[in-house]
Amino acid sequence: MELEEMKTLWEELSIEIEKQKKLTDSLVIKMTRADYRNKISKILIPEAIGALACLAEIIFILINFQKLNTAYLLVCGIISAFILFLMPLLSIKAIRKIRSINILNNNYKESLQEYSKGKIQFVFIQKLSFYLGSILILVILPVMGQLIGGIDFFKETRLWIWYATGFPFFYLFAKWVFKSYIKTTAEAENILKELMD
Amino acid sequence: MQREKEFIGIIKANEGLIYKVTKIYSLSKEDGQDLYQEIVYQLWKSFSSFRNESKISTWIYRISLNTSIAHLNKEKRKGNQVPIDQLPLNITDISDTVMDERSEVLFNLIKKLNNIEKGIILLYLEGKTHAEIASITGFTTTNVGTRLGRIKQKIISQIN
Repeated sequence: MELEEMKTLWEELSIEIEKQKKLTDSLVIKMTRADYRNKISKILIPEAIGALACLAEIIFILINFQKLNTAYLLVCGIISAFILFLMPLLSIKAIRKIRSINILNNNYKESLQEYSKGKIQFVFIQKLSFYLGSILILVILPVMGQLIGGIDFFKETRLWIWYATGFPFFYLFAKWVFKSYIKTTAEAENILKELMD
Repeated sequence: MQREKEFIGIIKANEGLIYKVTKIYSLSKEDGQDLYQEIVYQLWKSFSSFRNESKISTWIYRISLNTSIAHLNKEKRKGNQVPIDQLPLNITDISDTVMDERSEVLFNLIKKLNNIEKGIILLYLEGKTHAEIASITGFTTTNVGTRLGRIKQKIISQIN
């Protein structure tokens, strides 16, 4: 199909579409009233709950900090609190990036640039969150064991062995998870490159 | 009230145009309905700042294309929408009755293009000149010509 042939077909199609118009006044009004801010809040509510849960855990760790009576538990406690603080911030940053396209003032090229840059950053944040989440699982387990149950997992269980044997599986899982991310990033980078032509 | 009436008139006059944009950028019928609503909503939001400095169709293309790109980021967003059965987006049913095999081939060819090319080919098929495409998209007129040449090659290779 040549471009001219496509154009002719498009014109025929446009005429058919024009004949079948269906919009009514009330439907247009309904669409202008559709509250898309609710959409945002639907994303923000789980994020806010997550952030509050993280905050509660940070407070819990800080209040009971003196119970972390060995150097390794102290290190685990500090890392846990740091990650719990960082993860909601990253999540909010990712959401802000999603909403960053200036629909009213951009031209198409600018929107595509913002979209592609946002996509690359979003993927980066997702990858970072995945790693941080994984580290958090490792470090928070002994901390909570000590603070809630009074058990030093490192001394009283074979936690180290689980960590060591679990690592290769985690590595393979991460590789599998990131496969699609690599494709998404490459596509976005190609668009950015093409936009600079 | 007068402004609202004016807006309704504009949307009704251009509903086919919005439909064609949603058809190109959406992944499914439901996604198309979501995108259609979002475009109308964004047009309404920007209507107050539209001062007839540009042609109405240019303004609609610009907002529709930008909204479609922003919509690509929101695949997972689900929120309050006008329920589907009340939507004009029964308008998407048009496709089921009108589209013959050739039209489906046409849309499939366009959907296989990347997002840069989709916007340019849409405006070209809508009968816009290279200069008009350039003004809506932000590319230079020469660049639009070059890209259309590449799109042509791509489509030929897709068919073969």
